[in-house]
Amino acid sequence: MPFPNVRLSNRPLHFIYLCDCSGSMAAQGKMQALNQAIRQSLPGMAEVADQNPEARVLVRAVRFADGAAWHLAEPTPVQQLKWRDLEAGGITAMGEALELVAAALQSPPMEERALPPVLVLISDGQPTDDFDAGLSRLMREPWAQKAVRLAIAMGHDADLEVLQQFIGPEPAGGGKSPRRPLQASNATTLAQYIQWASTAVVGAASMPASRVSGSGESGSNIPLPDLPPTLLDPTDDVGPLVW
Amino acid sequence: MKPSWQSALHCSVIGAAHQRQGKPCQDASMSCSLGSAQQELQLLAVADGHGGSRYWLSDIGSREACRAARAAVEAALRQHPLKDQEQWLRQLQTELPEAIQQRWLDAVQRDWQQQPDAQGAPFSSAVYGCTLGLVLITPQWWGCTGIGDWDLVSLEPGGEACLRSQETLEGGAAEATTSLCQADALSAWSERAQLQRFSAADAPAALVLSTDGIRKSCATDADFLQLSRELIALTSTTELERGLREITAQGSGDDVSVAIGIYQGATSARGRSALRRWLPPAVVLGLSAAGALGWWLWPRPPELSPLERQVAELCQAPAQIDLSLSQRQGQFAQLLRQPTAAQALINEPERDPLGALIAATANGTSALEACTPLKQALNAHWQAARKTPLQPPRSPQTPAQP
Repeated sequence: MPFPNVRLSNRPLHFIYLCDCSGSMAAQGKMQALNQAIRQSLPGMAEVADQNPEARVLVRAVRFADGAAWHLAEPTPVQQLKWRDLEAGGITAMGEALELVAAALQSPPMEERALPPVLVLISDGQPTDDFDAGLSRLMREPWAQKAVRLAIAMGHDADLEVLQQFIGPEPAGGGKSPRRPLQASNATTLAQYIQWASTAVVGAASMPASRVSGSGESGSNIPLPDLPPTLLDPTDDVGPLVW
Repeated sequence: MKPSWQSALHCSVIGAAHQRQGKPCQDASMSCSLGSAQQELQLLAVADGHGGSRYWLSDIGSREACRAARAAVEAALRQHPLKDQEQWLRQLQTELPEAIQQRWLDAVQRDWQQQPDAQGAPFSSAVYGCTLGLVLITPQWWGCTGIGDWDLVSLEPGGEACLRSQETLEGGAAEATTSLCQADALSAWSERAQLQRFSAADAPAALVLSTDGIRKSCATDADFLQLSRELIALTSTTELERGLREITAQGSGDDVSVAIGIYQGATSARGRSALRRWLPPAVVLGLSAAGALGWWLWPRPPELSPLERQVAELCQAPAQIDLSLSQRQGQFAQLLRQPTAAQALINEPERDPLGALIAATANGTSALEACTPLKQALNAHWQAARKTPLQPPRSPQTPAQP
């Protein structure tokens, strides 16, 4: 070791799920589908992490219903993660969840050299608390501004407007885009989105190329990978519409 | 007139991640001596290609950036005496940036015409996008300018490392930087431009210019400053290359570059002794061998043991003491759990001088020949470790490690 007094370090990549656990998630197997989708995505996520040793992928999860709480509080290396099932019941304290994440994105505890975090908000409904206050609190944190923010709408009752606010400005033009809420209308599509976020997005965020300030390239802090081809066109959605 | 600065080393190493992906190194670096005996100037430069798919020729862009910097500085040197410091500050703020950018644009446009993959597509300088940092060092002043997320650290006569220039962008865009391919970003250059006069008494001992991959490989800024201090102890390009490979492999995986200028202080006993105080003897000898005759005329210091060198280094930079010891909290605790591990560290102080120092003070610092701040800090860290509940060792066979 040529630099004995220097802590060289790969860069932590914080991946945080914000999961809606309101009572409506119990209907039509949505909660079960979400648990299953996250659990199934972990091996692929671990593989991507292993392929990018310069990033240390650390997973956390927040659940929100009547209130918000850390479901997985410790930033856990994805290779060691064993997903514990979320349970549904209550209302939709989404704003409180954003405040919880905002506190975690302060520096410290966030590391100076962290990679831009990835925040994935998954919801099937509308916030029942002060979403604007929560979002405002979140976006005051520089790490939240730098974060890759994705949103998945489960079913057609999700509030796409608040999910878009969470992501940021809507891109021009129509069609599906990772810069818009991803609409999962069944368990298969949900699993594909979760898989994409936990592999392709994690891969992109693990080794980000420099981007030129003010060049207007991409609406995201990290150039996001394309959605899987089967998800590009709503008519390509796999499986029956169940939610 | 003998030069007061020795243009030491520069090196660029491909990032571990780029190597794995089969991509070229998109960094470039340079250190050279320009001008005449009356107009002696050392130039350091580092450039970092942006690397994304949109910037697919940025490896060429960074090489051309270093070449453009050298040509522009040479041209300015022919026109302006170095003693005209106001003129050179203007050069750093506006004239060199314009000249470098124009030369770079001409060069990459010529390259574009030779690109087999261009296939008649319209030229865009963006595909060559890169950052560029340059440092000009003269016997009376040093100055810097550039664009992008490069860093410049000076090592002060007392051994303290100071971050002298870094990019500060407003807004929260991650991994964003300004770029040589932005024709409208000349103001970004002037924000980074500075000219610092010095005398023989207060000349910095060294200047370390690096691309962002170095800083991003360090856990904290304090580690980055410490790394800058340790980098100048590497006396050959081979050693530097090995060190940079280690940095990118254990750190960010990004391409990494440094260019280092070391003050030779041929006219300054104070400057020389300041450098000697905190450079290991091997480095001092290496610098002497590099050609400074005056260096050999100094009285040779007694050879210090690794542990004595460690003590001397820390006492010369008291601000580093607590920082260095804080990083070894685990080692204090481990030595309390396994007192027998101390002897292994003490027996091989060259492997881990700081560990040996800690181990040697497990029973107190009264026998240690060291400055009071170091003794006090060691005592405080031992006391703190003793107050912390002992955790069972992970393995009874594991030797004490930092």
